[in-house]
Amino acid sequence: MSHHFPFDTVLVANRGEIALRILRTVKRLGLKGALVFHAADKGAPAIAAADIAIEIKGPSPVAAFLDAGQIVAAARAAGAGAIHPGYGFLSENAGFARAVAAAGIAFVGPEPAAIELMGDKVRARKFVADRGFPVAPSAIEDDDPASFVERARAVGAPLLIKPSAGGGGKGMRIVRDLAVLDEEILRARSEGQRYFGDGRLYVERFVENPRHIEVQVMGDAHGNVIHLHERECSVQRRFQKIVEETPSPALTPEQRKAICETAAGIAKAANYRNAGTVEFIYGGGEFYFLEMNTRLQVEHPVTEEITGLDLVEIQLRVAAGEVLPLTQDKVPSKGHAIELRIYAESPARGFVPTTGKVLALAWPEGPGIRVDSGIAAGQAVTTAFDPMLAKLIVHGTDRADAIAKARAALRDTVLLGCETNTGFLDRLLADPVFAEGEVHTGTLDARPDIAAEPALTPAEVTGVLAAAGLSLRPTRDAADRIPEIHAAMGHWRN
Amino acid sequence: MRHLLLIDEAEYEIGLVPAPTGDGDGAYRLLLGDEIIPVSLEGTVLTVGPAREKVAVAVDGNVAFVHFRGRAHRVEFRDAIDRFAKGAVGGGADSIAAPMPGSVVSVAVSAGDAVHAGQVLMVIESMKLETAIKAPRDGVIETVHVAPAKTFNKGAALIALQAAE
Repeated sequence: MSHHFPFDTVLVANRGEIALRILRTVKRLGLKGALVFHAADKGAPAIAAADIAIEIKGPSPVAAFLDAGQIVAAARAAGAGAIHPGYGFLSENAGFARAVAAAGIAFVGPEPAAIELMGDKVRARKFVADRGFPVAPSAIEDDDPASFVERARAVGAPLLIKPSAGGGGKGMRIVRDLAVLDEEILRARSEGQRYFGDGRLYVERFVENPRHIEVQVMGDAHGNVIHLHERECSVQRRFQKIVEETPSPALTPEQRKAICETAAGIAKAANYRNAGTVEFIYGGGEFYFLEMNTRLQVEHPVTEEITGLDLVEIQLRVAAGEVLPLTQDKVPSKGHAIELRIYAESPARGFVPTTGKVLALAWPEGPGIRVDSGIAAGQAVTTAFDPMLAKLIVHGTDRADAIAKARAALRDTVLLGCETNTGFLDRLLADPVFAEGEVHTGTLDARPDIAAEPALTPAEVTGVLAAAGLSLRPTRDAADRIPEIHAAMGHWRN
Repeated sequence: MRHLLLIDEAEYEIGLVPAPTGDGDGAYRLLLGDEIIPVSLEGTVLTVGPAREKVAVAVDGNVAFVHFRGRAHRVEFRDAIDRFAKGAVGGGADSIAAPMPGSVVSVAVSAGDAVHAGQVLMVIESMKLETAIKAPRDGVIETVHVAPAKTFNKGAALIALQAAE
């Protein structure tokens, strides 16, 4: 044992790929890995990888993972001295973090107070703005109706006027020229009155073609905070990320430094400990604080690839009270990493989830290729949980190298029995909009052609029909019943 | 014998016959349009004419999943006679099938209820998107196959209407 952890068993309160990924580090550190699981995940590799697996139940599979009482009881039963919540489920639930601490178990995450602060989006924004960090300029009419127009003008163009009572984009107006501000405010007020029976407004800076850029931070219980660089996560569908990469292709070295230092500054101001992610909206050279996620992110592997660090290990060490293992000037950034989320879904049919049994599964291998998967052949893909099946992560010398590696790896990814988005991901990486790094959060909505399934070439049709015809019982059996001599004479036409 | 295969819903008619003696074991001819193409499949190596390529195939009943040139395809066997049989049935929309996998949020009707075309029969949820399942025609509910909170796969029967007069 290299270090002495105050616990010898860690319970992972999650499932799928992230449960397996956390267990891998837990076991590498010489600790025992315990896992809670639901029967819907029968056959999942994480269950086999755990030293102890304890079944949890609930009205639905998701409800079981949200049942703090069952999870704390499972940790006690397994003799776990720490609980890693992963992402989603109870990972950002301050009540759960408190219940874990009250049971005398270390919560692998931030203090409950930090979870609460960042979980309240209005409070978080005010906290960040009050400490001098950039938030999108805005003006709320209710704050002081008399000075509203004046304050709106100070926000600057382009700006967005929204009804306070609004939603769904109704009554929103973009103002690019402040000369028409007064008249647009009148119109927005009348629309708000008509749609919502409420004419109160607020105004915020409008970011054209916004990009989503976030920064990984890590703090310890001794007041140290570092950042581990940024991640660009602008490729999204239904506000969910599909592709993440680092470094961001949008930032100059100076902007990169500024956004990363801002994130570390926010975390330090919040006296933050353990892993967190500060999310920013970026456009036109400006970036604004959006929110902070107080947990490990799905896309953390790209950060691990360019820094060579194991974020879960640092999380466990910090939770054990250790000092951060490195200082800011020692954080490397080597090459370029891209993560592709493999979803059970049909991009061509509006990204609807798909189901099926995984009949065959083969992952790509090679230098710079990493697969974080939570599924195994024979397992059923259902709608009980999120449709993300696995993550394909590549590390290249530069962005072009990483894209080339990612495309080759996608083509080598064999997952049969349930439709996935791998073909779509390949088309996306091949598109000039991605190759040139010109994506923003609205790119996929603006480019439905990337999601559309292209027609097969004649050679593909022939190959697919040949492979299927030679493998399917009815076609193969029918062929094998035909005497060779008749076949040679062309009697097949009967 | 001609077979009808569907690749991702597009129809193709093929024939498959053994190759004449001399082509070796496992050699066949694929009949596609007016072409006769020598083919064979040995493990993961597919030969089409002179070209040998890697392929992965998994079979589940009458469906073959084929990974070829980096893309996965679902190929369903349906022999040609089936197609005519299906055509003969016509638009008897007595059973309402799930348009996508998901779970039941709420059910608004029960067996014996008279419904009119367009009436909301149940609400389903798929990835947090709610969809109303509506009656395709006027009629009477025969069976409600699913209860609230139940999950189902794409194509599963949700509700049956009594056969129209």
